[in-house]
Amino acid sequence: MARASRLDSRFDTGLFVACVFLAIVAHGLPAHLREPIAATMRRTIVAPLVALQHNAELSRAAWLAHESSTRMRDSLSLQAMRVTALEKENERFRRLLGLGRELRWGFIPAEGLHSGAVGDEWTLTLSAGSRQQVAPFSPVVAPEGLVGMVQTVDPRMSIAIMWTHPDFRASAMAADGSAFGIAQAHQGSGADRYLLELRGVPLRNQVKPGTLIVSSGLGGVYPKGIPIGTVLDTLRSEGYARKYLLRPAVLPPDVLSVMILQPDRAQQGVGSVWATQVAQADSIVRAAAAIASAARAARAGAPAAAAPQGPLPDDSARTASADSAAAAAAARARRARRDSLRSDSLRRARAADSGAPRRDTARDGPRRDTTRRDTTTPVTPPAAPATPATPPAVPPR
Amino acid sequence: MLSWRTLRPILAFLILVVLHYTLRPVLGWRTSVDFLVIALLLASVRLRPGAAAVLGFAIGLVADSLSVGSFGSAALAMSLVGFAASWLRAVVFAENLVLHALFFFAGKWLFDIVFLIVERRVRGLDLVFQLFIWSPLTAMVTALAGIVVVILLRPMLDSQPA
Repeated sequence: MARASRLDSRFDTGLFVACVFLAIVAHGLPAHLREPIAATMRRTIVAPLVALQHNAELSRAAWLAHESSTRMRDSLSLQAMRVTALEKENERFRRLLGLGRELRWGFIPAEGLHSGAVGDEWTLTLSAGSRQQVAPFSPVVAPEGLVGMVQTVDPRMSIAIMWTHPDFRASAMAADGSAFGIAQAHQGSGADRYLLELRGVPLRNQVKPGTLIVSSGLGGVYPKGIPIGTVLDTLRSEGYARKYLLRPAVLPPDVLSVMILQPDRAQQGVGSVWATQVAQADSIVRAAAAIASAARAARAGAPAAAAPQGPLPDDSARTASADSAAAAAAARARRARRDSLRSDSLRRARAADSGAPRRDTARDGPRRDTTRRDTTTPVTPPAAPATPATPPAVPPR
Repeated sequence: MLSWRTLRPILAFLILVVLHYTLRPVLGWRTSVDFLVIALLLASVRLRPGAAAVLGFAIGLVADSLSVGSFGSAALAMSLVGFAASWLRAVVFAENLVLHALFFFAGKWLFDIVFLIVERRVRGLDLVFQLFIWSPLTAMVTALAGIVVVILLRPMLDSQPA
């Protein structure tokens, strides 16, 4: 029994030594000998395992590719979101540049930093100070309108109160000059927090909702003509004065880049800087609407016009035809507008020749529609009117 | 004719070999599970030492045929591991998972040590890092996987030696 066990043990040891010896020999074989052996094994007994491994690695590669494509999709979505933000920022900078071009001189560009701390939500830290010639009580404006006023000036920075500040007051008037009052923060809660009030408007002056309210220039701080807000609603009257609720022209969270008007510029006034911008925006909207309607009309009439010329070869030709038709329709619309203007001026000239007083020029007060926001763009008709337009008289407060 | 009692360990062995060539590439971990070592260790405790050495040699040669420049290294390492595991079978007979884990850990680490030294591809500080950081980590992962295998394939793995 013990002998058999010893024999088994020797047999096992012999097998082990043989295996080790063969492994060492295999390891020591030169490449040109061991490679054919390995290749033969790969093609025969290991082939199924190689196929399994190949499929597993393909699965892993597909999984990784899926993860990679998901990551790429996510990053693309993120970039698309950033593009939208960048477009908005670009638009804001363009408007600021446009404002700078209109102002020409007497302003200091600055970045507005919102601290967001409790009690500081009404103030704005500006990145320009006395070294950039910022002075206290200088108006702070944005392309959309009035932001506030510089209160404290340091060498490298300054602090401005925004219109949301409880102490903010600005002498304001309707853009058509029909009503005057004092603009201040509404001090509401919730959604009304970012609204303005126009106080002290005499009862006899009624302001319609939608009327643009601008600074009147009477207070000495803010020059005349800076948009403050638009009338939303009438609030409860106080004695002999009315109170209106205004939608602000500038929303505080949107204030990032501003212009600080220097005292000289504020004293000299800003002229029709914002009026021009508003008029340009209106004219752009009107032109876009006219082009859209002309294009619609052209699309409606294009098939009939194109029918005698035979079938169009492709989509580009069809698009070109529609575009030319749209251009023709727009030209027709322009001609019609010129004609109507010409006939209007002729009618006015005839009325002047006849000597009969015009109904609207016989009035004492200014015509409201002559200074309305959408008619402030000077339109020069081909035939000059017989009587020069009189500037609107500002009624006394 | 082989009985079901004999077939079960063989089936478990084949499952582990298949897992080595399917699950391991899919996982793609830096410290990957070596199912071949687990299969060899579980088979070795049921075989005589000589047979375990031959089985290790065969498995190692299969592994070597798929790698370039290390032909014979895995065969040598597996022969050593199989022979040693068969001699240490008494330890593994105890139905203790911790002992099983230690057994798998030691087997895998021994395999890596022999393989890396014989292969001579990794040298110097890299070899030290590989032997004492990555190899123990890989052995640890293999030991954990081995315990999972033992638990899952317990019905197939007969505790009695062959």
